[in-house]
Amino acid sequence: MDILNLLLQGVSVSILPANLLSCIIGVLIGTLVGVLPGIDTVSAIALLLPFSYGMDSTAALIMFAGIYYGSKYGGSTTSILLNVPGEAASVVTCLDGYPMGQKGRAGAALAISAIGSFIAGTIGLIGLTLLAPPLAQAALAFGPPEYFSLSLVGLILLSKLTGTSTLKSALMAVIGIMLSTIGLDSLSGISRFTFGIDELDRGFDLSIIAMGLFGIGEILTAMTHADAKPDIPSVKFRDLYPTKEEWQRSITPMFRGGIVGFLVGLLPGPAATISSFISYGLEKRYSKHPEEFGHGAIEGVAGPEAANNSAISATMIPLLSLGLPFCGATAILLSGFMIHGITPGPSLITERPELFWGLIASMYIGNVLLLIINLPLIGVFVQLLKTPLNFLMPLVAVVTLTGAYSINNSMFDLIWVIFFGILGFLLQRAGFEPSPLIIGLVLGPELERGLTQGLIICNGNIWTFITRPLAATILSLGFIVILYNFVTWFTKFNNKRKELDANRS
Amino acid sequence: MPIRSFILFVSCLLSILLLGGCTSMENKVVPATTKYPDKPITLIVPFGVGGGIDLVARTVEKSASTHLGQPLVVVNKPGGTGTIGWNEVAGAPPDGYTLAMTGIEIILQPLYGPTKYHYPSALDPIAQITELSLIMAVQSDQPWNSLEDLINYAKKHPGEVKFGHPGIGGINHVLGETFAKAANIQLEQVPFQSGAEAMSNLLGGHIQVVFLNPAAVKEQLKSGKVKALALGGEKRLTDPVFANIPTFREQGLDVVCNSWNGIAAPKGLPDDVKKKLSQGIKKVIDDPEFQKNMENLGLQITYLGPEESEEKWLTDSQKLTKTVQETGIAEKIKEQKK
Repeated sequence: MDILNLLLQGVSVSILPANLLSCIIGVLIGTLVGVLPGIDTVSAIALLLPFSYGMDSTAALIMFAGIYYGSKYGGSTTSILLNVPGEAASVVTCLDGYPMGQKGRAGAALAISAIGSFIAGTIGLIGLTLLAPPLAQAALAFGPPEYFSLSLVGLILLSKLTGTSTLKSALMAVIGIMLSTIGLDSLSGISRFTFGIDELDRGFDLSIIAMGLFGIGEILTAMTHADAKPDIPSVKFRDLYPTKEEWQRSITPMFRGGIVGFLVGLLPGPAATISSFISYGLEKRYSKHPEEFGHGAIEGVAGPEAANNSAISATMIPLLSLGLPFCGATAILLSGFMIHGITPGPSLITERPELFWGLIASMYIGNVLLLIINLPLIGVFVQLLKTPLNFLMPLVAVVTLTGAYSINNSMFDLIWVIFFGILGFLLQRAGFEPSPLIIGLVLGPELERGLTQGLIICNGNIWTFITRPLAATILSLGFIVILYNFVTWFTKFNNKRKELDANRS
Repeated sequence: MPIRSFILFVSCLLSILLLGGCTSMENKVVPATTKYPDKPITLIVPFGVGGGIDLVARTVEKSASTHLGQPLVVVNKPGGTGTIGWNEVAGAPPDGYTLAMTGIEIILQPLYGPTKYHYPSALDPIAQITELSLIMAVQSDQPWNSLEDLINYAKKHPGEVKFGHPGIGGINHVLGETFAKAANIQLEQVPFQSGAEAMSNLLGGHIQVVFLNPAAVKEQLKSGKVKALALGGEKRLTDPVFANIPTFREQGLDVVCNSWNGIAAPKGLPDDVKKKLSQGIKKVIDDPEFQKNMENLGLQITYLGPEESEEKWLTDSQKLTKTVQETGIAEKIKEQKK
């Protein structure tokens, strides 16, 4: 096995003391970035770039990569414990993670999320090791018309992810799309809905809205029942870890999430966030207990947390084998690489094999390290719940706002975090679940750009979309699912009517 | 009382914000410094982390502290095609502690409509660091081996050839339109979010041509996935990877469109500060380690001092004003801004 040999060489590079140390430092910082709500991976790496100037290039790269994949491990912690997502990719984990915590199963949720992250991270890495160049080539076949089709189908399928009311979810998704149109339009170069405010030109960062709606929003919600004592059942040590039943229910979602995340990670866009939503949707659809979703279904934690981790490994594929970053976090990684004199691209594997394989091997090691770090921490984190909320929540607010500021170094963004916080609070009060808004916000721009760029490429003829094999396949799959939903809805409706008729007579 | 504590919390947050806002507004106070610099210097990059201009800034940051006597700290203030960051620097006290990375956008942006400041006159150039000759590249399995092949093809198939660039009104877009006009062909433009996105669409065969800076093309060129047909500069590049790319002029088209990056300060810098600063930056640029780092990035150092930079700003300004009008880019953007 050629690859195995190369990987072993890589291991020998990555266990050199300096490299191993930077791997440990990287994953520790990454975990911290993930756990602290509001602190975004991109700004964390940007802040740390100057400190790496004196480091050896291999060690520096290993550290940056460690921060990147490490951050997705910790993201679920505050989602489960406080209903405040640590990262945009863990928004969906709140839906079932937090109810689990309320039932005294926080430890189990954290453990499943850590183990799921490990399994999926490893699936992603195996894909990265074995299939990087061909997969990167395959990803290139996706052009604007294909992204349009994917986002369209995604929006339709995902917008009714949560809650009971289709109308409310759809409304949230539409508001998300509307918010995504604010800013400089990439096609025409004009500012839309900015009212002449320059700062609005860049649009709203996903993190700003997610931290507002979910972070500050939840803090405000907590304030309104601050008098109530935290009603957390006392947790015994053996209750910290998942039961056999929880295990059995989680194992398939982990693998399914791992594969979905990997595929989504190959495509441009905020893959970790998108993949977590897709995985949640899938698990809800395939679960034997769909009624439990939203009330603490373990699958709703295992799947998404697995998905966002394997997505991370997959986003490294276009970066390492083509030198093309497909999302913000890999763009900053590329910068980190370039500053250290390394240009990722097709020639990296042949020109600097020790570096390439050393990095990959360090990611395997880092994943194990993350599991070792995270499992014992569960006990510590669960203790956090005993802290009275009136001490804990202001602290979370400070961290969230600091993180929000660091994204663009902008005071202006802070106003919006608070605005969205109040909005999130009011939405919760009115019985709206804001997570479809995030889906609209993420997929809206992909949809619009896919359509406009695609139309130029197809000479303005939208029917060409259907003649492109990939786009046509995706669109028809979406169509079939919608048709299926419609038919099941109609049969249900019909049955109910018959039942009513029977009752009446 | 839940509602009361809610209101209290919100008002606390707002007052923190207001206080924070106040501190950053104490502008335009020029201290009588004798020993410049006696604290770290902020270099504002008006674009996000990870772009070409950011890399130049960070390469300067890496070598700066030994030559300037104080560390240089890069702060990214992205948004509005650079205008947010440049507005901040143009409005900052001219004491030499707030600098900006500049690019050709400081000249282009005011041409498309009113900006808060007219950057070429509100900023004072300290140095030009690098000049980027944009490269016109096509997928390697396309039948075109020279500019002439492509022009002939485009003449026979009008509207079929599409070019990608990383942003409307940017220099890459301007070069594309200038070329199309000079060659008298019809090229459709497709705007992308970044050079990487344009490149991946070229590699996937969704578009036919890209105009990108050398660093964005280098790896694909080395691996033979794309071929370069022309160079937007006046002279060929010296890097062996790019050395055999002929310029547009060599191929009979009068197209020259270069991008550049430099450092500027707010207008009105005290003479001694400006002198110290420009000498310090010059030393950074002369540092062999800095030159090696720039070479690694695929960037050619083209140093210009403060006066030469100012001249360049003027000539570029005149030239681009004409170009964006002739190609219809300015009109198109202005029309939509209404």
